[in-house]
Parts: sequence; structure tokens; C-alpha cells
Amino acid sequence: MKKLIFIVCIFGIVACESNKKIDDEKAFLDSLESVTLNQPEISQEVISDIIQQIPSPLEISFLIKESGNSYNNELLNSPDNISNYNSNYHKALNLGIYGADLGYTNIYNQNQDAIFYLDAIKELANGLSIGQFFDFGTIKRLATNSQNMDSLLLISTQNFNNINTYLQEQNRSNLSILLLTGGWIEALHILCQVAEEKNSEQLKEKIGEQKIILDNIKLLLEFYREADPNINKFYDQVMQLDAIYSQININHVYAEPTFEEVNGMLVIKDNSTTTIDITDEDVAKIKATTAMIREQIIK
Amino acid sequence: MKKLDINMKKTLIILSLAGVIFFAQTKTAQAQCNTDGFTEQCLSSLESGFTFLKSFKVDGQGGSKDKVEFSYVFSKDTEYYINICTGSSSVDGIKVTLYDSNRKMVGTNFANGKFFGAVKYPCSATGIYYITFTFEGSSNHCGGSVLGFKR
Repeated sequence: MKKLIFIVCIFGIVACESNKKIDDEKAFLDSLESVTLNQPEISQEVISDIIQQIPSPLEISFLIKESGNSYNNELLNSPDNISNYNSNYHKALNLGIYGADLGYTNIYNQNQDAIFYLDAIKELANGLSIGQFFDFGTIKRLATNSQNMDSLLLISTQNFNNINTYLQEQNRSNLSILLLTGGWIEALHILCQVAEEKNSEQLKEKIGEQKIILDNIKLLLEFYREADPNINKFYDQVMQLDAIYSQININHVYAEPTFEEVNGMLVIKDNSTTTIDITDEDVAKIKATTAMIREQIIK
Repeated sequence: MKKLDINMKKTLIILSLAGVIFFAQTKTAQAQCNTDGFTEQCLSSLESGFTFLKSFKVDGQGGSKDKVEFSYVFSKDTEYYINICTGSSSVDGIKVTLYDSNRKMVGTNFANGKFFGAVKYPCSATGIYYITFTFEGSSNHCGGSVLGFKR
């Protein structure tokens, strides 16, 4: 009888334990080569709220293509540079950069280059123990056919989103921040190179708009700079860019929106406006400083 | 000795029931809000021409949360698309409202006295926008949503 009671108690304990997530990942993560960071005092929820605001580099890539610019892979970070990236810091930043490059190659239907970038992404992601979030087989298959661009972009974006969610859940938001910042720096770099060539007001305005995202990136890096000397150094470089952007004004005028129903869909008419005060001199300085920061990351 | 056996039997039964009830309740809680399924539904109904950006899990936790909020930087001269999915053709009272960085309302899926399953927002002012989901007479307080864009 005592044995039976013991068994039932065990059953009760197992029923409780079945609800806990079995965290195989924890032991795995503990074995990773990484600096153990003290977590910032600000809550993970606040950090995630700021991180989620950073837009996808795809939006800039689409704008660049729309501006009539031809594909130019010399603007991108060569996949051959991957052998330079040995620390988690460099891997995370360049994973973001290669992610932006992959989006650029996909939009231009450059299938062969896309595969090179996929291979680089796979290597870096595996190095950070997040390779399981990439469906490389499916992505490669889709990349071989230019008709699959929509699906390709969808899966790539989903994979990167899942990685960022996972890193934040695992208290590795520092890597998520580096990944997103790497993607942003690469998109800004490509944008600056093309804007100068095209002398396009729309592209210049887009450069000016990046002030909003830079404010978030600055804040995120600030949370980790004390604990991580690499992030601290990177923060100082980003502040050089911030000094230039402090001269740029974004003027927002709110106006009540209107809406109409079109084919069963609600279409909102945004009557608010923003104007961006940015000069050619500002663009030149941003271009040079972004290139300098990027060079430090990719070399 | 006989009395002891009867007490032990009662203890056994109580412990067994406690384990079963606890286990069952937990499984029920896990099954309550299938946001992954709903976001997949929304993905498949993303309007043609729009490129996927991100998905949102709208989990009102059975009614205990009256608002679920996300944020994103929208760019001018870009059109955004947000839809809501609940596993049926209706949005089950899930209202999405867009606010600009100053918390001024710039759009919603509730207009003309009815809910719309999706909204298009051609943005003309770059900035941080708040995408807020609330529940107006919702039965399940659960849904999915995706955000897409096109230029």
C-alpha cells in the first residue's frame, strides 16, 4: 500500500513537471563560446519592444530597385570574408549584413549570388547555434527559380524573425541587437552608395529617415555597452553617425485620416506628412561614416 | 489496521484525482489560444503584391488582457497591409488600431459600424507606429495577424 501511495505521488509530481519546458537549449547554450554578459537593468520586455520597431532591410532594397538602379554585387559584403568572423560579436553583426545582402540579391532575382549568401548565412548561424531556424533546403530550392521570389522572401524573413524572437527569449538580446544593427548598417550603406550615384531626392530623404531607427539602435547598444567591450567600441562608432544625424530634422504634421471601403477592404488615407531636412553635405558625411563603421565590421 | 487501509485508499484516490485534474487543466490552457495557426492563416491570405514583414500573436489570454500592442517604423510612400485571422471568416471582435508616435489615431479596421478583416495603410509620414489590438465583444480573445508592405 505504501508503495502504491509512493507511485501516485510520483505521478502527481510528473504531472506538474510535464508543464515545464524541457530546456535542452540551456545546457547547449552553456557550452557556447561567448562572453557571459550581465543583463542590463532595463527589463527584457522593454528591450524587445524597442527591438521590434527596427524595420526590415527589405524595404530599402525595394526602394533601391524601384529607383531604377541596376544590381551591383560590389556593394555587398563578399561571402568570402566569412573566414574573418570568429567571435560571436562579429558573427552576429555579419549575419545581419549577409541577411540584408540576401534580401537584395533575392529582389533582383540573382539566384547564384543568393545561394552564396545562403551558404554564408548557414555557416554563421550554425556558429551561433541558431542554424536550426533556417530552412536552408527549402530556401535554396526556391532560390533556384526566379518565380519563387515571394515565397523566398517570406521564408527568409520568417526565419530571421524567429531567430530574433529566440535570442530574446534566451536572454541573448545582445546578439539580436547586433544582428538587426548589422542588417541596418548594410542597408544604409547600399542606400548611400546608390543615392550619391542617382542624385535622387527620394533616396536622400530615405537616408534622413534613418535617424528614427538610429535613435533606437543607439538606445539598445547603450543597454549593453558597459558589460561588453566590443559593443562599447561599436557604440562609440555609431555615435559618430549620430552626431551627423543630429543636424537633420524630421518635421511631422498630423492631420486626421480618412478612409474608404474598396472591394471589401478598408483603405485608410493618411493625411499626415513628414518632411526631412537633409543636405547633400549631410548625405556625403553619412555615407563616409557608415562606410567606415561597416568596414570595421566586415574586415 | 482495517481503518488505516481505508484511509490510505482515500488518500490514494485524492492524490490520483489531483494529478489528473492538474494535468487536464494545463492541457486545456495550452489549447486555448492557437495564435500560430491563425498567423499561418493570415499569411496565406496576405494580399498579392504585398511582401511579408512580420506576424503578430494576438493573445488576449481568455479575456484577462484587454490590449495587445506592437510597434514598428512605417515609412512614407510605402503602403502597409494588416489583416486579422481567427479561424473563421469573422475577426471575432478583434479591433486593430494604428497610432502614430504621438499616440494620435491614424487608422482602424472598424468603420461604418463594422469590422474589416484587413486594412491598407498608405503611409505618408515616416515614424514609429503603434499597432494595437483590442477586443470588442470578442468570444475567444485570440487571433493572428500579419504585416506586409509594398511600394
